[in-house]
Amino acid sequence: MGMEQVWLIPALPAAAFVFLLLFGKYLPRGGDFVSIGAIFAALVIFFPVLADVLDGIDKQGDAFAGGGKSWEWIRFENFQINLGFHVDQIAIVMLAVVIFVALMVQVYSTGYMKGDSRYGWYFTVMSLFAASMLTLVLADNLLLMYAAWEGVGFCSFLLIGFWWEKRSAAEAAKKAFITTRIGDVGFLIGIILLWKEVGSFSISDIFQYAEAGKFDSTYLTAAVLFLFAGAVGKSAQFPLHVWLPDAMEGPTPVSALIHAATMVVAGVYMVARMFPLFEVADPVALDVVLGLGLITVVMSAFMGLTATDIKRVIAYSTLNSLGLMFVALGSGSVTAAMLYLFVHGYFKALLFLGSGSVIHATEEQDMNNLGGLAARMPVTAIVFAIGTLAMVGIIPLSGFWAKDEVLHAVDKNESLLIYLVLLSSLFITGLYMARLYIRTFFFQSRNHHAAEHAHDAPSAMTVPLVLLAALTLVTGLFVFEGVGKAFGFPGGFGQFVWTDEPEKFDFNVGIAALSTILAGGGVVVGWIFWQGSAEPAKRAGDMFRPLYLLFYNRFYIDNIYQWAINNIVLVLGKILSWFDRNIVNDTGVDGSAGLAFFSGFELKFAETGRLPNYALAIAAGVIIIAIVFLVVTV
Amino acid sequence: MIPINDFLVLSSILFSLGLYGVLARRSAVLILMSVELMLQAVSINFITFAVYLNPDTFTGIIFAVFVITIAAAEVGLALAIILRLFRNKATANVDEADMMKW
Repeated sequence: MGMEQVWLIPALPAAAFVFLLLFGKYLPRGGDFVSIGAIFAALVIFFPVLADVLDGIDKQGDAFAGGGKSWEWIRFENFQINLGFHVDQIAIVMLAVVIFVALMVQVYSTGYMKGDSRYGWYFTVMSLFAASMLTLVLADNLLLMYAAWEGVGFCSFLLIGFWWEKRSAAEAAKKAFITTRIGDVGFLIGIILLWKEVGSFSISDIFQYAEAGKFDSTYLTAAVLFLFAGAVGKSAQFPLHVWLPDAMEGPTPVSALIHAATMVVAGVYMVARMFPLFEVADPVALDVVLGLGLITVVMSAFMGLTATDIKRVIAYSTLNSLGLMFVALGSGSVTAAMLYLFVHGYFKALLFLGSGSVIHATEEQDMNNLGGLAARMPVTAIVFAIGTLAMVGIIPLSGFWAKDEVLHAVDKNESLLIYLVLLSSLFITGLYMARLYIRTFFFQSRNHHAAEHAHDAPSAMTVPLVLLAALTLVTGLFVFEGVGKAFGFPGGFGQFVWTDEPEKFDFNVGIAALSTILAGGGVVVGWIFWQGSAEPAKRAGDMFRPLYLLFYNRFYIDNIYQWAINNIVLVLGKILSWFDRNIVNDTGVDGSAGLAFFSGFELKFAETGRLPNYALAIAAGVIIIAIVFLVVTV
Repeated sequence: MIPINDFLVLSSILFSLGLYGVLARRSAVLILMSVELMLQAVSINFITFAVYLNPDTFTGIIFAVFVITIAAAEVGLALAIILRLFRNKATANVDEADMMKW
């Protein structure tokens, strides 16, 4: 069992999906154990694969490029499409996040979704999602990755709209799918551009072609930017970020899995995987990545400051984190981005699942109706605090080490402006996460009814929380060489995942201190502003009312998009619909049928049934033919 | 000898008269008579060509004998059909036999 058998990891959830689709309703409990069993089996298979990868690194050192297996699927004249799976260091990191968080979320869901009328269907789609996501991670050619990309988008649609009887959920699912679709079109164009030049969809073939310098620089930059468009859609960067806050309409475990830990980071993963192309292309490509990431970081931080729904605030923090990952990539560091992706998966899932416990217990999502829950839900309060501090970036939690790496990467970029923007985002993150925690867990509850019902969740839900919290505490330490080597890795995280050369982790006390002061400062200011009855916050809100409204209405971007949709897209749609209905259907289809019918009706009157008429017809016909014959031949 | 054209013209005139009769008569029996006239016109044509162009092998005259025979048989059949029609509809008027009308 090794890298060659890595295809089993996506195959098992896929088999579970098919099985549940066919037999799910006949199984007890809707077959949730099939889905959980498949993911657990994938986790079990992960470890021998990891061992084999580490073995490969030991043997080949820096030249290790991963391993896997590929089957020929369709063969055309001059190219072929493969079903291939490839695992290397980035894939291992991603697998560690996806498989474990998926397992935790599915176990959590047995508690959260208990009693739901479509319980079995939930786990069926969860299996499909797991299969698609794992295929995306392990695909060795762009076409398979694109197919899996669409698959996860589809599952996201199904799961966001899980409670489709609620209008807002159906609308949110539609919004998510269409927004990511816009990005996906770009992605497909990028894939086709690359295929046209290289003649193959295989990623390693494309890299070989690029490294041999055979790409025209403008062409490659364009292709790479189109690929990035897919990431912009899937990872909710500006301007396609609008779907992620609305996606919170789905069940909370779905938000934890798909919109925090796995699907939204697919864009980051894709850019990290295709990073050799970004390096060969014109630097403007990475600048675009950096720029959009930075805009997303800033916008989401401000929007998080005013939102009141706890899931929304966490969604904005996800946008913030994704922006940071792209800033890291744009600065040229795959290490920092993958490290942040790795730790983010765990602490963001922790935050979402924690909020799920709160929602499950109190039936409330709005911060204005919560408060004072810490005493009644101690376990949840503690793990949520761990998650919050990790997000803010307080030492020694995992979020701190990852943010430190990102700051390192940006530092190398030597742009003071970007550095300052990031530092200020650290402060604001501290602010809004503190606000979230304080308003939810501390002080007087604003809704006694909710507070009375508050209790720590059953163990199916609490155990995943505790496990994720434990991981949040320790995974940051993987940056250190000693820790990595103890587990059989070639060194710290920077020596496992790297771009140009392995990076040893060096602890810059100055940067660490600065970031801790800013983050901690954010928390402290947040405490001052939002403690008790939040008087300072309310006064600030009144003083800067226009700004407050701007942030609360999400910079009015949704309104702009809706205006564009109403006045451009729907108008165009009406025109085309008119054309389709009146010209294509009424005239073309119905018209031809009508013409046939009508002419048949008119022509039948020639059948008089009277012999002399027929005789006349015959005689006239013969005469005409004779005349034509004479004229033509003579 | 009489020029061949005279016989051919005669044959054409007889044929046209027959054709007119087929198209313009109301009575089924008269239409039958006109058909016979057409057949005989064709026979004259055949015999003319046989005498003037091929006097040794008298193929046309043999053909005319065949035509007469077949015309006789056909008349028997046609009269039987007219009789049936008359018994069904009490009329020999061809205009009224329009059961195959749309």
